[in-house]
Amino acid sequence: MNDIEITDPCYEEKIRLLQLLSLVRDPELELNIVDLGLIYGIDIDKGKKITSIIMTLSTPTCPAGDYIKGGVELMAKEACPGFEIRIEVTFEPLWSADNISEAGREELGW
Amino acid sequence: MEIAERHVPGKRTVLPYYLTAAFCLVIIFLMALFAIKDFGGHFFQPHLLAITHLTVFGWGTMIILGATNQLMPVIADTKLYSEKLPVAAFLFLVPGTCLLVHSFWSFELTWPIFVGAFSVLSALALHSINIFVTASRSPVKNIVIDFVMTAHVWLMLTALIGITLLLNFRLGFLPAGHLHYLKVHATIGMAGWFLLLIIGVSSRLVPMFLLSRKELKLCLTLAYYLINSALVLFLTEGMILQSNAGYLFYYLLIAAGIGSYLYYIWRCYKSAIRKKMDSGMKVSFMAIGTICLPAVIIAAGMLHAKEAPVAIVTAYGYSFFLGFITMLIMGQTFKTLPFIVWMHLTRPDRLQQLQPKDLYNDKLVVLQQWIYLPGFLLFLSGILVPSGYLMYPGCIMMIAASVLYFGHAFYVVYQLKNERYRNY
Repeated sequence: MNDIEITDPCYEEKIRLLQLLSLVRDPELELNIVDLGLIYGIDIDKGKKITSIIMTLSTPTCPAGDYIKGGVELMAKEACPGFEIRIEVTFEPLWSADNISEAGREELGW
Repeated sequence: MEIAERHVPGKRTVLPYYLTAAFCLVIIFLMALFAIKDFGGHFFQPHLLAITHLTVFGWGTMIILGATNQLMPVIADTKLYSEKLPVAAFLFLVPGTCLLVHSFWSFELTWPIFVGAFSVLSALALHSINIFVTASRSPVKNIVIDFVMTAHVWLMLTALIGITLLLNFRLGFLPAGHLHYLKVHATIGMAGWFLLLIIGVSSRLVPMFLLSRKELKLCLTLAYYLINSALVLFLTEGMILQSNAGYLFYYLLIAAGIGSYLYYIWRCYKSAIRKKMDSGMKVSFMAIGTICLPAVIIAAGMLHAKEAPVAIVTAYGYSFFLGFITMLIMGQTFKTLPFIVWMHLTRPDRLQQLQPKDLYNDKLVVLQQWIYLPGFLLFLSGILVPSGYLMYPGCIMMIAASVLYFGHAFYVVYQLKNERYRNY
């Protein structure tokens, strides 16, 4: 995911959302989904009260897919109470190992 | 795209298979303890036939059927066609295996063995139908599905040859000797069913568990065609021409296929991001390494004489089933079972505090392996030497490892009833 600019009007909300999303872990890889690079983008529209998240899964047939998506939805609701939550799961581009953050790579022993 | 959780099959389609298989493993080693002297004799005798068939149906096939019910939706990206067929298959497989094993042990080739054999055949047919229909509904086409489907075709052929052999015991209608067809039956079962299925499933799971960046699919395709060509030639020559002139060539083709698969696994490992392996993966890799052991043993036997000595043949079968297959299953059980139980304990609408790794003890998997591996090697040495002094302690160690494995698997499944996890 692209870094969040400090000049972004929703900077604080997005950072808080990312922190909460870091609590969601992939059960097999035992790594949080932010460091795993599953979050492709987040957008918060304060005016319309809509939070949109574009995310992926490590494989399209990931058996824990619904659990991960469910966790993302829960965290988004907690970060943005009263907002409509829109989550889009995409496989374009397909997730690859290059998405893993530096901290994630260290945790996996790469 | 739909997310795969909706494809997760129910508990009844998977867990009874896992637990029954774990229980059978203990029984196998107890039976082996009472039949140790028989391991020094010819492999074609009642007690060894009983142990082999319990290993094949009660242990290997039992757990593989359960695992494929769980994995097929992941591989094929679609729901399992039926959740009733696996239950029916299980209800046919368990009594069928009991009848078959009991009849072989006491060598009573009367009606119970035929009821048992047809019951097992029905179970395998029901399971295969479920797999074929599921695969036909899959939106994806890949080599992994081809491996799984073809393995099921070989499974059915193996079972049909087995029943033909049983009928031949009574009616004696086959032109060549019984041992000739037994070789075809065993080879088709080992390479066609177990090997192809394991290659197919592991080629999906290994890169997934290790997070491999590079997969050499070409190696898998090569392995698929090499092994299947060998098996088709083997079956044609063995059953139609009643000859075994080309066996060495076919074994070489299979060995080349295994080599191609091992290279694929090696490249997956080399390009893996996840270098820290848990004990389940370590045991699985050790098992994949032991795939060479039966190949080396049978090659030694073939170089020794035209017909391999009986101890070599027994050691070959033993090292395939209780080395490669058993160690691989023991390792993969604690990769898949906690995850399966976890999926039934947790709900997608709650944040997961519980993780699959919390449901089993990694140290117990290591301990189980440290008891099993030396026990297996001692017993193998005992078959080759032959010596009861090596086989008895080896067998006792394998009994201990299997009891530990059964207890551990039962503990993981029992967590479904654990009140502590009710609110997850």
